Amino acid sequence: MLADLLEPAIVISVLAAALRIATPILLAALGEVVAERAGVYNMGLEGTMLIGAFVAYFVTFQTGLASAGLLAAAASGALVSLLFAFMVVTLQVEQIVTGLAINLLGAGLSTYALRAAFADAATVPAIGFMPSLPLPWLAGLPVLGPILFEQKLLTYLALLAVPAVAWFLFRTRMGLELRCIGENPKALDTKGLSVPARQYGALLFGGVMAGLGGAFLSVGSAARFVPDMTNGRGWLALVIVIAGAWRPWRILAAALAFSLLDALQLQIQGVGLKLPFQLLLALPYICAILAMILLRPRAGVPAMLGVAYRREDVA
Amino acid sequence: MSWPGHFGWTLVRRPAGGLASLAAAFTLAALATGLIGGLLFLAAGAAPAQAFAALAKGAFGSWRAVSETLVKATPLIFTGLATALAFRARLWNIGAEGQVFAGAIVAYGCSLQLAGLSPWLQVPALLTAAMLGGALYGALAGLLKVLGRVDEVISTVMLNYIIVFGLSLLLLHGPWSEAGGFFEQSAKIDPGAALPKLVTGLRVHLGFVLALLMAVLVGFLIERTPLGFEIRAAGSNLRALAFQGARIGRLILVVMALSGALAGLAGASELLGVQQRLKAGTLVGYGYTGIIIAILGQLRPLGIVLAALLFGALVNGATLMQIQTGVPSALIYALQAIVLLAFLIARAATGWRLRRLAHAG
Repeated sequence: MLADLLEPAIVISVLAAALRIATPILLAALGEVVAERAGVYNMGLEGTMLIGAFVAYFVTFQTGLASAGLLAAAASGALVSLLFAFMVVTLQVEQIVTGLAINLLGAGLSTYALRAAFADAATVPAIGFMPSLPLPWLAGLPVLGPILFEQKLLTYLALLAVPAVAWFLFRTRMGLELRCIGENPKALDTKGLSVPARQYGALLFGGVMAGLGGAFLSVGSAARFVPDMTNGRGWLALVIVIAGAWRPWRILAAALAFSLLDALQLQIQGVGLKLPFQLLLALPYICAILAMILLRPRAGVPAMLGVAYRREDVA
Repeated sequence: MSWPGHFGWTLVRRPAGGLASLAAAFTLAALATGLIGGLLFLAAGAAPAQAFAALAKGAFGSWRAVSETLVKATPLIFTGLATALAFRARLWNIGAEGQVFAGAIVAYGCSLQLAGLSPWLQVPALLTAAMLGGALYGALAGLLKVLGRVDEVISTVMLNYIIVFGLSLLLLHGPWSEAGGFFEQSAKIDPGAALPKLVTGLRVHLGFVLALLMAVLVGFLIERTPLGFEIRAAGSNLRALAFQGARIGRLILVVMALSGALAGLAGASELLGVQQRLKAGTLVGYGYTGIIIAILGQLRPLGIVLAALLFGALVNGATLMQIQTGVPSALIYALQAIVLLAFLIARAATGWRLRRLAHAG
């Protein structure tokens, strides 16, 4: 039975599924790493993703355009992160508490909006499945084609975001400034560069990415919205940022490792191996804890992560 | 501590927020929530005044309504206290949610062994078992932090997800699933294990009294005992506490276990006091709502009891509101988060004041 898992066709489909499963987590994690490099710990990813998932679903349902849904999800993520930024950067409310509050808001608001919008309907209507977008020529490649190039738009976007974020953080002046905020915000402040403005920017990017990650769950794969459909993916994105040592390429590796596990457990259920399915479903969360234990040295954590920057009193 | 202001004004942090600024924050938060809630009512096509009236009537309109409000508030007092105890030490235990499950699971497991015995023996034994179950699950996250350096926020959230699957393993075609039952739930517990009702004919049960008792105990523990001193010290300056020779690892374990024990009682109170059977859906959400309760209650027992009563009223009143106005009762969960955000913003905003820069004259 286990040998079935090594059939080439199955290997290809597991790898392709792994990329698909990685997409929402990777999007959120790449946004989060920019915010965390700028010293802000946004624990509100789960709630932001839920809001993005609902908004994407609802706008797509209303307009019939998946692209409109994706744009709206990105905008809603930006809006939520603006609220988060106002609270933690401007008002300096505890970052962990604010993040939790955003999660509760996302869960409550998205569930309420769903119930209010479809109060009279017996079931929540489904929207059309978002088609995959096979890339011309590349999709025809053997093995690599079906794995890499027959994915959906957001998966390509997530994969392209890896080099883009890496380039931005480590090869541009703005990236350098952001990383400096995470390590020594005063250095930037004394040069007359605004710390809050940059943190707002970093958080906005994180919000857009989390909103898109949520959109992938509803519009991109399930074709509907279900309350709490993120199922901890926002939290897994936080784990992946840590497991990826705050570096985009390693974050990609960590996200793929997790999603490969997830794709494999789906296959294992498929070949009818007699394992309780609950155990398989709990696997990603158990592995998250194990990953955190094994990655004890915590290399790469920004020194000022989670610490609000306050100027000395000048008056 | 000031930001560059426009036009010669700057924001300055106030030295310490007194009772007046706290009251101002609560008033602002209540106003903001009322306003946003009203808009959400309108969005659902209901008249806000009518919806608020139905909410209030559902929560307090009769003795029965008041009793139901207390029933809904009971687990929230436990989880609020659980969260506050950990947060006071700046231990971010987000795991009350899972610890509620752990308490209910262990209590149910023990109830199978004790069935038929005197209620005088069963009830105290099962409450203890629930505390033990919650304490163990809380201590597990503590252990991961002390030995594995795993951030407690992450580990407790992961443990919250894991235990839901664990319970499903027991209940869905598992050893505890109800014989011949269709739903994913256990059989009813022995009648001798049920928490006694406080008033005949009403559902409010012993768990509510126990919750109030725990509020007093937690207050005493934090303010009057050496352990409480260490908890408060850890909350304000962990490093200084370590320099004084306090054993931080042990403190983390003890606080996480105590916090988990309190959350476990919420599970027992629901299992033995209300549902009489184990079912995942009846335990969901108390832990997360407990975080809101703890923060609104300013991590103080009295505040937590008041906040839990308010939220119990909201949850209870929402049923009548949905029947009378058609506004989905899920609104309440959105409103709870909005109360929290509004309070956090108002609390921070009243801690700042505008000041004219001297040189801007």
